[in-house]
Amino acid sequence: MSSVALEKVWKKYGDVEAVRGISMDIADGEFMSFLGPSGCGKSSTMRMIAGLEEITSGNIYFDGELITNVKPRDRNVAMAFETYALYPTLNVYENLAFPLRAAKWSAADVDSRVREIATILEMTDLLDRKPANLSSGQQQLAGLGRALARKPRVFLLDEPISHLDTRQRGRMRAYIKRLHMELGYTMIYVTHDQEEAMALADRIAVMNEGMISQIGTPQEIFQNPADLFVAGFIGEPPMNLLDCEYHPALGRHVLSYNGITIQMPSHSEALVQQGAIPQRVTLGIRPFYIDIGLETSVRHTIPAEVFVVEPLGDMTVVSVNVLETRLQVAAAPDFRAQPKQTLWLAFDPAHTLLFDAETGHALTNQA
Amino acid sequence: MLELRSLTKKFGETIAVSDLNIICAEREFLVIFGPAGAGKTTTLRMIAGVLQPTSGDINFRGRSLKGVPPEHRNMSMVFEYYALYSHLSVFENLAFPLRARRFPDDEIEKLVKRMADILQISELLDRRPGFLSGGQRQRVALGRTLVRDADVYLLDEPISHLDAKLRHRMRGELKAICAEKEATVIHVTHDSREAMALSDRIAVINKGKLMQIGPPDEIFYRPGNEFVAGFVGEPPMSFVDVEYTEEEGQPTFHITGDDTQLPASLEVGAYLNEKGQPDSLRLGVRATEVSAMPAKDETHNVPGEVYVTETLGHRNILTAKLGNKLVQVVTPPEFAFKVKDIVWLDLSPANVYVFSDGLTIAYPRHQDS
Repeated sequence: MSSVALEKVWKKYGDVEAVRGISMDIADGEFMSFLGPSGCGKSSTMRMIAGLEEITSGNIYFDGELITNVKPRDRNVAMAFETYALYPTLNVYENLAFPLRAAKWSAADVDSRVREIATILEMTDLLDRKPANLSSGQQQLAGLGRALARKPRVFLLDEPISHLDTRQRGRMRAYIKRLHMELGYTMIYVTHDQEEAMALADRIAVMNEGMISQIGTPQEIFQNPADLFVAGFIGEPPMNLLDCEYHPALGRHVLSYNGITIQMPSHSEALVQQGAIPQRVTLGIRPFYIDIGLETSVRHTIPAEVFVVEPLGDMTVVSVNVLETRLQVAAAPDFRAQPKQTLWLAFDPAHTLLFDAETGHALTNQA
Repeated sequence: MLELRSLTKKFGETIAVSDLNIICAEREFLVIFGPAGAGKTTTLRMIAGVLQPTSGDINFRGRSLKGVPPEHRNMSMVFEYYALYSHLSVFENLAFPLRARRFPDDEIEKLVKRMADILQISELLDRRPGFLSGGQRQRVALGRTLVRDADVYLLDEPISHLDAKLRHRMRGELKAICAEKEATVIHVTHDSREAMALSDRIAVINKGKLMQIGPPDEIFYRPGNEFVAGFVGEPPMSFVDVEYTEEEGQPTFHITGDDTQLPASLEVGAYLNEKGQPDSLRLGVRATEVSAMPAKDETHNVPGEVYVTETLGHRNILTAKLGNKLVQVVTPPEFAFKVKDIVWLDLSPANVYVFSDGLTIAYPRHQDS
């Protein structure tokens, strides 16, 4: 396996700038996810690493070796796509062995590799079966095993499980993660699904409009999104954002949302002391850190009108309007309310974040 | 009131829908929920009248719909593969059902713009469908269905092709529009959260048959069988194969493929003693209803080996090996379990479901309260 480095990589299609000067280092054995909405440049970046797209400018290195002009087949990368069609006439063992035999592995190496993969995927007792005698879930798993059987320098996966239903996706996610841990692959995993990226990756590169908005561990990105784009993209339900004003004359530790007073984030004290808080700020709070009161209280000071209530089993998502802003609150599974009912919200100041409303950049850092 | 009576549809030898009996009340939001191939779309198409039942009947407000053509049913349907008019703009596609009903221009303008605003497609009104993404087309199709008044709205996976963010947003909007219209809705989906979030009641179907029908809480907390239990909820329920014995007079489960024992409730013991060993005996473990600890204690006394952990920000999902099965448990983000660590799960009778030959014979106790 190899480390991968990108240095000011650009991709232009005519006048369209798909990738705009991306630089990053991916360690040997790291699981890196490229995450972003469609059109953010994540697939183009991956295809340049594979050599399937020419690089407009910039450089790509494997283990410090410049590979920008190396042909795709000489880069020794493996790509896995959505389809996992198995060879119907071959049993599971031969399906897993196929790419290894094609790469001219010795019979002994093929055998030990096939058994290793089958053990991780808990399919050792299925090796003799033909695909037709497998459940659809087992077929998926065997296909994944085959895709990951080789030992290339870098593994590239482009939305490999997005076509599966939720149940199968959750299972495959666990298997992919375990395979990565056991086999120590360098993996680059492209997805638009933030939950998938969070669950799988050692680090996530959040991409937007051809650039990297933030790169970090899932926890770092979840706790301290670098800007409003990342804040809104990571987490489900997404972070709530309220455009507020800061007038120190009216109180140095409070914000105003159209006249509603909201406490400053508790970790913003240093900024308050420095007088470094701009007048227009955006307050961010995740749905999990809002408490609902049926009456107003010392804590529950923000009036909200219920828009819709969605019980999901493990939580109830309550969408409310606070004046013109729609917020979502993750309430207890048995919480119920009627549309148009008034509720009173309490934000936990230990979990609120501040962004500069002008630039969108984060102003504060949660510990 | 819409009533499906012994509704059956065969395609040659294949039974797509089998003896379905469902009543949908006026102003009810009914979700038909099941996996691919369950017969959901076929059922919806029979209600719309574009497909004829092989046997059985559909009654609407006391009258049989037999022989009533689709255009006389006053039902508004969105198909999963939405047929938009490719030569018309998005605006005209949305306006079409209103023009057909001779709405005045200013009323059309108002209704179309409002719908476009709710569905976040206002900036697309001048475009032709050919220039839209799949998700945009799906929203236009949904808008065209909801823009007019109808006795029943039939929605076939109307938001399934949207990406996750937009889908969750549209789920709330759809629920609010339908509540405001006091619409009668039959909504087909394979997404558990969508079914839970939207519905007054859920009809779970599998292989053309009704498995259970009831309010979302009932489907979620009191699934009648293993299929329903495994299909509703996210992360999905994990199942553990067990064998039943009595150890020194105490009802006990043995985890298959492992030497772990755990207590069974007296009720389950009595049931199984009477029935005898079933062909299939499984525990159902819901990730949000059990807990895992790094050290053994009085209640966390079933060992599992960590297979993998996944970080989701506000919580983690731990997958542990128990006997020959993988079990998922939600854990707080501050717990750092490592692969191959031993974790201790709380699988007392109060926390698990028990399925005997596919039927639920015990529910977690916290639900009794």
